[in-house]
Amino acid sequence: MSRFALPIPQLRARTGPRTDELARVRLASAGSARGRQIPVRHAPTSVASSVCGFCSTGCSLDVHVRDRRPVNVVPTDVYPVNSGSACPKGWEAMTPMSSAGRATTPLLRRGGRLEPVSWDVAFDEFCSKVRRVQADHGADSFAFLSTGQIVTEEMALLGAVAKFGLGMVHGDGNTRQCMATAVTAYKECFGFDAPPYTYADFEESDVVVLVGSNLAIAHPIMFERLQRNPHRPEIIVVDPRATETAMIATRHLATAPKSDQTLFYGIARELIAREAIDRRYIAEHTSGFEDYAAFVADFDAGRVCAATGLDVESYLGAIDAIAAGKRVSFWWTMGVNQGHAATRTAQAIIALALMTGNIGRPGTGANSITGQCNAMGSRLFSNTASLFCGRDTTNPEHRQEVADIIGIDAAAIPDRPSWAYDQIIEGIVKGKIRGLWVIATNPAHSWINHGHLHDVLERLDVLVVQDLYADTETAVLSDLFLPAAGWAEKEGTFINSERRIGRVRALHQPPGDARTDFEIFQGIAEVWGCGPMFRRWRTPAKVFDLLAELSRGRPCDISGIGGHTGLDEVAVGVQWPQPEGSLDTAVERRLFEDGRFFTPDQRARFVFEEPTVAPERASDRYPLVLLTGRGTTAQWHTQTRTGRSPVLAALGPEHLYVDMSPADAEARGVKSGDTVAVTSRRGAVEARVFVTPSVATGQVFLPMHDRRINVLTAPGFDPYSRQPSYKHSAVQVAAV
Amino acid sequence: MTDVADPSAVDLFGEWHDGAGASGMRAPGGGTAYRALLPATAPGPGQQYRFEVDLDSCTGCKACVAACHSLNGLDEDETWRSVGLLVGGTAAPPTTATVATPVAPWQQHVTTACHHCLEPACLAGCPVEAYEKDPITGIVSHLDDQCIGCRYCMLTCPYEVPSFNERLGVVRKCDMCKDRLAEGEEPACVQGCPTDAISIGLVSTVELQAGLAVDPSARLVPTAPRSAHTQPTTVYLTRRPTAPHNVVAADDHHVVPAHNHPPLVAMLVLTQMSVGAFVLSHLLDLSGVSEAAGSTASAVLSWVSALVAIGASVLHLGRPLVAWRAVLGLRHSWLSREIVAFGAYAPLGGATAAASAGWLPNGLTPWLATATALVGLAGVGCSAMLYAVTGRPYWRLDRTVARFVVTMAATGGAAVALADVAVAGGEHAAVAATWVATCGIAVGWMMTFVFVARHRGAAGPLGRSVSLLTGVLSPQMGLAFGASGVAVVIAGGASAGSPSPTAAVVLAAVALLAVLVAAWIERGLYFTGDSPDRMPGALR
Repeated sequence: MSRFALPIPQLRARTGPRTDELARVRLASAGSARGRQIPVRHAPTSVASSVCGFCSTGCSLDVHVRDRRPVNVVPTDVYPVNSGSACPKGWEAMTPMSSAGRATTPLLRRGGRLEPVSWDVAFDEFCSKVRRVQADHGADSFAFLSTGQIVTEEMALLGAVAKFGLGMVHGDGNTRQCMATAVTAYKECFGFDAPPYTYADFEESDVVVLVGSNLAIAHPIMFERLQRNPHRPEIIVVDPRATETAMIATRHLATAPKSDQTLFYGIARELIAREAIDRRYIAEHTSGFEDYAAFVADFDAGRVCAATGLDVESYLGAIDAIAAGKRVSFWWTMGVNQGHAATRTAQAIIALALMTGNIGRPGTGANSITGQCNAMGSRLFSNTASLFCGRDTTNPEHRQEVADIIGIDAAAIPDRPSWAYDQIIEGIVKGKIRGLWVIATNPAHSWINHGHLHDVLERLDVLVVQDLYADTETAVLSDLFLPAAGWAEKEGTFINSERRIGRVRALHQPPGDARTDFEIFQGIAEVWGCGPMFRRWRTPAKVFDLLAELSRGRPCDISGIGGHTGLDEVAVGVQWPQPEGSLDTAVERRLFEDGRFFTPDQRARFVFEEPTVAPERASDRYPLVLLTGRGTTAQWHTQTRTGRSPVLAALGPEHLYVDMSPADAEARGVKSGDTVAVTSRRGAVEARVFVTPSVATGQVFLPMHDRRINVLTAPGFDPYSRQPSYKHSAVQVAAV
Repeated sequence: MTDVADPSAVDLFGEWHDGAGASGMRAPGGGTAYRALLPATAPGPGQQYRFEVDLDSCTGCKACVAACHSLNGLDEDETWRSVGLLVGGTAAPPTTATVATPVAPWQQHVTTACHHCLEPACLAGCPVEAYEKDPITGIVSHLDDQCIGCRYCMLTCPYEVPSFNERLGVVRKCDMCKDRLAEGEEPACVQGCPTDAISIGLVSTVELQAGLAVDPSARLVPTAPRSAHTQPTTVYLTRRPTAPHNVVAADDHHVVPAHNHPPLVAMLVLTQMSVGAFVLSHLLDLSGVSEAAGSTASAVLSWVSALVAIGASVLHLGRPLVAWRAVLGLRHSWLSREIVAFGAYAPLGGATAAASAGWLPNGLTPWLATATALVGLAGVGCSAMLYAVTGRPYWRLDRTVARFVVTMAATGGAAVALADVAVAGGEHAAVAATWVATCGIAVGWMMTFVFVARHRGAAGPLGRSVSLLTGVLSPQMGLAFGASGVAVVIAGGASAGSPSPTAAVVLAAVALLAVLVAAWIERGLYFTGDSPDRMPGALR
């Protein structure tokens, strides 16, 4: 009968193609007995994990792959860093990779325009351009800018090929912009660039001091760990702004910008005066304390409160809390690192941990939180500022060691140190640097005072840019553009903030002719003619093994990991050090448990200096202090990637807003939504006003993600780390 | 916001923060939750599921939005959850303030999705029964294959929850991941929240309603729509001191014109012209003022404009082919009722025109005309109700009815005048109709001026509407005023002078056109000038 049935319209269509769009299936998960439901339309044929390519937290993400195409990303359930969580950038990690804006072919500037060329032409052009510049102006006239965004094996190969093969002398990383201060501070105090902590310390402290860190927004998954602390910790946030992180603080010390160095000297003085210090630890494991104590004696409460703007009660209350703490951890990020006296400020934080014996035990430490996904890899293995594994390139023994391990002539290793980022830029201005190779970073957006930088890059004879997208602010200026593979398109490792080495895997194909950075460096070496020097660097896995050899006996010894295979077997990453034969295979480990540091006498040092004022002060003409920082969790740095995800774009503001206090807004007759000009001595930017009490009167805040921001910032640098001081510029704001 | 004064909130927080501790309890979704994120039992009688948001744990990371997007397989630019920001307090001078002091700077991110209301306005308004509220769980879910894409739920929901998917031509929304809940798995947003700020709990519907009866002005969080309207179930919990008095949403300043819905504008203006003309013409007939030929012409004109209006409204649908389903919601949806009323009105109008022209027995004409007029008025009434029930002050019933009556008078009057001038010389009916139209226009402008004067500078939805109408929308206001002014001048000129028959027709046609332009713009402003309360948004 059914074939005679009339097509009776469905009165209530509970099923159909639109309903099926959202159908879900159960996907087994290693993390739970039952797994979780996932959308049928994105059901994978295979799942593999890779460490996230945005920030230094180092979350592991599961990539769902169907027919060799990535269809979805879900945070890995069983991974010690993030155990099933991710911030929006992680959830959306694949969208920028699949973006139609990806560069698919090398581009060569001909007659003013960038035109597609083959890789053969690109490599030939690269080599002939570099050779020509070097022939005319010397081998050191062609420099490179590396990155914290590519895998360790690639940055190592880059450092080796550029310096040992191509004869370049000057190469620095964009990590100079975020981590150089921590590196310098740790080296001086601990004898090696060694963040001592593990993320479990967030959960085990009874007092947590966060300095210049909006952890909730900049590192949401680390913040998760802090929120899981079961000890009802005192959370002391030192930040001029009432940030999201300050909102959960038990004590918010809203210090005047760049007064934190004075604050920590003052806290040291009070702790010493109260005898709330660990004399035994100081005596056994540190040097220089007496000088330190004598130096900080001048920093009485009156002086500190005058400098910081704090009232005595909250100042002393915070000290009470630190003094009462049994497990006090100190954490800092860019608010400290990006300052004119950043290194000494970081060292003042380290000093507090040392004098109170809050180091080497659970829930303690003087802990620098890193920025980029592989900043730590860059610090140890990029062969830019230092020779591999923290060695000194001016030390002939170090050069010989490296040469022997990698099997090259020691004469190929430059015997003078590289210029820092700002010195390379200055070198361009002075005509000493004539060619620049920029890999996976975007200085035309991110470099301080970049209105000036555009002119600088124009002076170059040759600018080569290697990136995922040919439309970044820097790539559009290039003479030669090399399209690179991105996240989860290549093999290697990232090292996160807690020194955890995690695997990055090639789970899908890069678009078009784009190649991995590894293949690009190899291709250049071959065409240059130095290919034979790097025969032992054939694959990322082989390079990891070489790096393990280079690390042997160094503080960052990873010879016991067992290479990529070993990492794949443990599947939860390994924190350095892991020397061969070590029996300590705990998933979460911290340094200095035995109180022995990496200095020659194995004692940690107290380092101090009289505080100085920020180079650019507010004036009558520019009466406001401009602070910069991360805007939302959905935005990453110059937004070359996050800007390509519609979801992430929807989570951040469409327009540029300048945060301003109600009093400053009223004084200027502006209200939220009004357009204003933010002017510094270097330029002006139009923005909308957001009136919010989260910034103090006399200060304004701009998120760093808009390409115009660094037109305003004042080009100051920490003298020791040479890190730019993004956090303190004088501006005026006026209605337009 | 529920603060510590609510003992249940304290209890709940006691369990959340003290009990489980960092025990590393394994959550079904995989991650390590440090407290139970799902209720231990299914809802009992008088209970339903709800979202519970621990504001103290919400840092604004927005992972919930991305997790919902990815785990539910939404389209690339589609999101079902959003996170807004509230700010308040006093700016810290360059000295410190501890966060515990009441004047301290204060900010709070607020994550929001569907509130699975006790009185879901989406469901009540849906003309095709595409929404259902589960009798046990209370989850309000949407049948995507039932939806015809009319988007009326996007107007009725005060929380901007239903979102239109252009690719599919239908609306979609959060269903609390009911399939996940059925298997004991947390919803995507709950799984995705790194700080376990979102969980699923049980709410007593009786207690919720009793609370709203006591405090009808309660809102989920400051600046949100009043909860009494749809009785949303989500609860926002905090142990912090109450929010400062001066809290505003980060997007408070972001007052921009709403969508102008051209098909709805066409539909409303043309049905109201049709009904206005029909009713007026019928009244003139009954009072013996009009000529037969003029009545017939009016009826034809009305009928045609009704057909065009209905066509326009069907074009508005995401899935016009299943438009027939719109009758299903007759029991509760004013949109269904409007559709049924105008669905009957159009053939009745056609029959009246036919009878008036002598194609049907002439004796039927008065009966048909009366029936058509009554059904048409019922249709316009339904139109007014369907906006009034959204609870938006700008669309309050008296304001809406007044605007619709003015439109009927102005456009209907002008149409009858044209019909009478064109075929019956315009001796009497046209004069009367012109007076009706002119009075309508005058009343309309008076109402507008009074509205603007009364609400200028006021806080809240009506103040925002006035700032829009006198700000970015003022060019449209000027155009509407100008167009209606042209119509009035023509009417005055035509009655003062004695134009030739042809010139009279042209003038009447131009006057009708001018009135239609004015009505069109006015109806656009009915949509674009609306600025209801909403959940706090983020900076845009």
